[in-house]
Amino acid sequence: MKTFKLENEPKIKSGFTTPEHYFNDFSAKILEEINQTQTKVIPLYKRKKVWTTFAAAAVVVSLMIPIVNHYRSASNDLDAATLENYISYQSNINQYDLIQKLDDKDIQKLNSNIALEEETLEDILSSNPNIEHLITE
Amino acid sequence: MIDEKEFIQQLLDPKTQNSAFQKLLSDYQKPLYSHIRNIVLSHDDADDVLQNTFVKVFQHLKNFKGESKLFSWMYRIATNEALTFLNQKAKLNGITAEDLQNKTIDNLKADVYFDGDEIQIKLQKAIVTLPEKQQLVFKMKYFEELKYEEIAEILGTSVGALKASYHHAVKKIELYVTSN
Repeated sequence: MKTFKLENEPKIKSGFTTPEHYFNDFSAKILEEINQTQTKVIPLYKRKKVWTTFAAAAVVVSLMIPIVNHYRSASNDLDAATLENYISYQSNINQYDLIQKLDDKDIQKLNSNIALEEETLEDILSSNPNIEHLITE
Repeated sequence: MIDEKEFIQQLLDPKTQNSAFQKLLSDYQKPLYSHIRNIVLSHDDADDVLQNTFVKVFQHLKNFKGESKLFSWMYRIATNEALTFLNQKAKLNGITAEDLQNKTIDNLKADVYFDGDEIQIKLQKAIVTLPEKQQLVFKMKYFEELKYEEIAEILGTSVGALKASYHHAVKKIELYVTSN
């Protein structure tokens, strides 16, 4: 068999051809495509991006309203029991300090609160086993 | 001939952009088409890849630092686009890139944009058996008749390594054609 040597052979062409006017048409096509990308896509994309950012921010803020409200109301409303517990266990305030802080209005309020009927008073006195002790004191 | 830097400025300036890009197209579309066609083999695929190449060139022109020549930068983009295209097409068909090329070569005889006979087909079949780098070097040297220095700049290798690659490629091709 004859040994094939590339350099001894006449130059082998690739054999690839193109349609007629291919390169003219190609130039026109690509220039049109590039001009379109320049004039249309860039501004639209930018504007769209700004609007989407705004919309996303608005949605996030509106979604946060109930959460913020919840935390605010929770932190402001300390119930009476918590306050009482705090004062009795966590602070040095004793009943004398409290009495010092009372003004005339408070005393009036207290008086009206403890304005007991005589019957009730009698009931309490009769049912209380330490009555004698209280009287002597 | 105008300075390359000046030409790139013209390509970036909106006022001169159109005419500069027209010049770029008329200078490079034919050699880049040949380069791409030699890799992807079919005209339709070469047309797609050439379009992608010029669009990419246009998009990335503002990032072109001028570290290499415009010529080699564009050839590099074309090479990458063509190889990526081949690999994606092969993957889509569930076959290897080599099988895909063999299939395309078998179809070349029926291709209206192929004017070759047995020897061209045999040569293409021989080239497919080579490693990717040797295929590229052989096609760029033998078909496109680029200088070693130009190929070295495009592929980022030394001239010495390219000469060795080409030499190996020729030997393997001669062996294939002799025995087939």
